[in-house]
Amino acid sequence: MASVFLGINDRTFTYSFVAGRSEFQGTGFRNPMDFAFGPDNTIYVVNRSYESRSDGTRINLFILGDEGEEYITEFGGYGEGPGQFIWPMSIALDSQTNVYVSDEYLHRITIFDKDGNYVGHWGTQGSGDGELDRPAGLAIRDDELYVVDSRNHRVQKFTLDGQYISQFGSFGSGPGELNTPWGIGLDKDGNIFVADWRNDRIQSFTPDGQWMQSIGQPGGAGDASIAREHGGIRVVNRPVGFFNRPTGVAVDKDGDVYVADWLNNRVQVMTPEGRFITEFTGDAGLSKWGVGKIESNPDMIRQRNGVRDFTPEKVLWAPVAVKVDDNGRVIIADTTRHRFQVYQKNTEPVLV
Amino acid sequence: MSHHAVSQEEIALMAHLLRRAGFGASRDEIEARAHQGYDAVVEELLNPADAPGIEEDLMYRAYPSYFDKAAIETGQTEIVYRMINNKHQLKEKMALFWHTILCAGDNKVDNARTTSMQYDAFREKGMGNFKELLLWLSTDPAMLYYLDNIESHKTAVNENYGRELLELFSLGVGKDGDFNYSEDDVKACARAFTGWNLAPTVPVFPYGRTPFEFRFDPADHDYGEKTFLGETGNWNGDDVVEIICKQPSAARFVARKLYDFFVADEPPVPSWRLSEPRDLAAIEQLEKAYFDSGYEITAMLRVLFHGDFFKDEAIRYAKVKSPADVVIGTMRMAQDHTEPKPGLFFVAMEPKYMGMDLLNPPTVEGWHMGREWINSGSLIDRINFASRVLGDTELPGVRSMVNRLMAQGDSLTAEQMVDGCLDLVGPLTISDETRQELVGHVSRGGALLHGTEEEQADFSRRAGETFQMIATTSEFQFG
Repeated sequence: MASVFLGINDRTFTYSFVAGRSEFQGTGFRNPMDFAFGPDNTIYVVNRSYESRSDGTRINLFILGDEGEEYITEFGGYGEGPGQFIWPMSIALDSQTNVYVSDEYLHRITIFDKDGNYVGHWGTQGSGDGELDRPAGLAIRDDELYVVDSRNHRVQKFTLDGQYISQFGSFGSGPGELNTPWGIGLDKDGNIFVADWRNDRIQSFTPDGQWMQSIGQPGGAGDASIAREHGGIRVVNRPVGFFNRPTGVAVDKDGDVYVADWLNNRVQVMTPEGRFITEFTGDAGLSKWGVGKIESNPDMIRQRNGVRDFTPEKVLWAPVAVKVDDNGRVIIADTTRHRFQVYQKNTEPVLV
Repeated sequence: MSHHAVSQEEIALMAHLLRRAGFGASRDEIEARAHQGYDAVVEELLNPADAPGIEEDLMYRAYPSYFDKAAIETGQTEIVYRMINNKHQLKEKMALFWHTILCAGDNKVDNARTTSMQYDAFREKGMGNFKELLLWLSTDPAMLYYLDNIESHKTAVNENYGRELLELFSLGVGKDGDFNYSEDDVKACARAFTGWNLAPTVPVFPYGRTPFEFRFDPADHDYGEKTFLGETGNWNGDDVVEIICKQPSAARFVARKLYDFFVADEPPVPSWRLSEPRDLAAIEQLEKAYFDSGYEITAMLRVLFHGDFFKDEAIRYAKVKSPADVVIGTMRMAQDHTEPKPGLFFVAMEPKYMGMDLLNPPTVEGWHMGREWINSGSLIDRINFASRVLGDTELPGVRSMVNRLMAQGDSLTAEQMVDGCLDLVGPLTISDETRQELVGHVSRGGALLHGTEEEQADFSRRAGETFQMIATTSEFQFG
């Protein structure tokens, strides 16, 4: 089984496939910011889009099977009314597959049922107990909801209907302190991992909010030039174990930690102790939906046949979220490319 | 920072510098900068750090679509956000400067990512070396597509880029009565750029119009002998740029363009052969800096901002503000959109409504500027926009100006209100007749007190109204 390699228990990962394309409606995504696993390989996706094409702001539901992507439905939309969002950020599902979406501008959590029917919303802007200021990452365990309350630099725990339970974290850069955190992930024991965004690290906490450890070193200090100038073009080799504004974090059943290293255009995988295992910089080709679109237009085929270097198609570009499902599928929201790249964690080494 | 009280003239001069070398500033910033001292502020403007001058992490968190800029509206919105918030204001102004000269319109390029990347390059290279800028421009996908260099072949030369490079981007038709180049020079220039072509890359979506990248094709390049501006050799494009940059007419071109943009309006380039510069002595100082520095734009800007011709009171408020100056200057004065929030898209569309569709200049000649910015339609848009923003006393910059007015005394006369508002939005001088009309309007509202909450609300409302009325004056159209 696991061998020992350079002092680290060896894991191997292989690239599986890519799903999605850019669309404002239907079979595609627009700046997917986060996603959550539903039953039977379904995935709920938060699409941010942008103000002049706010028709692309929505939640969509699709199947991510081994045969590629299949569209089911979409719901929600841009606005301030019930069931709408301005800056949707993150998504989580409860045990009944109800859908919870955070909105960084409206400071609220909006709830839909599993089919996308609007159920309600809650949240009040402020800094007191239970009040929110720019809610970002969401996670649910035992039907309690963790909300990354980013501009209050803390994590708050609520009942699913918004009753305040507890909180931890405060502004700063010391152990257990946070600076404008973004994503959140839970391990199998309920320990809490927070993407401590402006401190360029991941911090973990026990289920009752006691600080456990810090993973990763600051590297980049928010310098966006790699994502701005090289994103979607090439891989810029960055040292391992350093993060530049990490946005998303997930922990698999072995305790390995996956970090969306946003401004470095990559996902890093770390051991539970915080040592570097590997990184994903992107391996995508064309998705099923991508092929469908290009095949419909001879000009697109002609242009594509003239391309000399397909590196730009492979690479991740400012990916915001990463999750691992029960089958060891590592799924990355390749936010700026409006698609998902899928890797497989293998139980035995696989020679590619 | 010095601790002397700054004079009204120092404030007026600093306000002028920040309007021209940037997009204006809040009154609070103007005063702080005046304390810092003119020369120190000029040096700071001339030496921006490599860092972007903006908290990009927060910007991209709120606006993730700015990474790929797939739509022209996204590119325009990002530019407007940077113009409002970039601490390196001269860098941002120079990006706009080159955008008004080295024109490639998105309506033809039809790829917002490509045209946006051209603008980004102007931001990064706009204060650097003119020769390097022209060399880069000659490999820029937006430009090579816009001016048909992709259709220029060894066996069938397309002269479009070769001609405009000389006529509109580097020399101009003529100076001092003489022509700067001949038709043969245009042909030689175009031949030198054959083979400077583009190749497709993969689209982001991953479908649709493909973004291009530069690719030199040696088989399509004319390696033959060419005589260009009196020099004969097997010139390639980079040789041509080298020869261009050492011409006195290149120095004249850059000097006159900078003078036109930062100091006072010059006629359009096609008339430069016969029209003398408005201030030849100033132009000659700029030309000297061009050659002394080896074509460094920042060296020319240093001479410009330290020149008496720039500080001269007669040139203040004598240039019609461009739509970008109107929109960004008003935002900066009012301190609106100083951090990400919804609504920016609608602000970013305002320059277009006023006749300046950023990333999409109407022709290779760019926009007709100066007084041509104003027509009956654009004037209404300019007035409506500025008065809507400056009348909103909840905006931090406007609120701060209202507080300053209240601090002038427990009770203000109508004259004090009008003069105080004119000072805070400028200092701006308007005609006596207009001023009397404003005073008359303000005085009809009775005493200007701010003791009680009710009086404060009335005072704020009337201050906001006064700002709005000032925004409708003809003087406010100048910067």
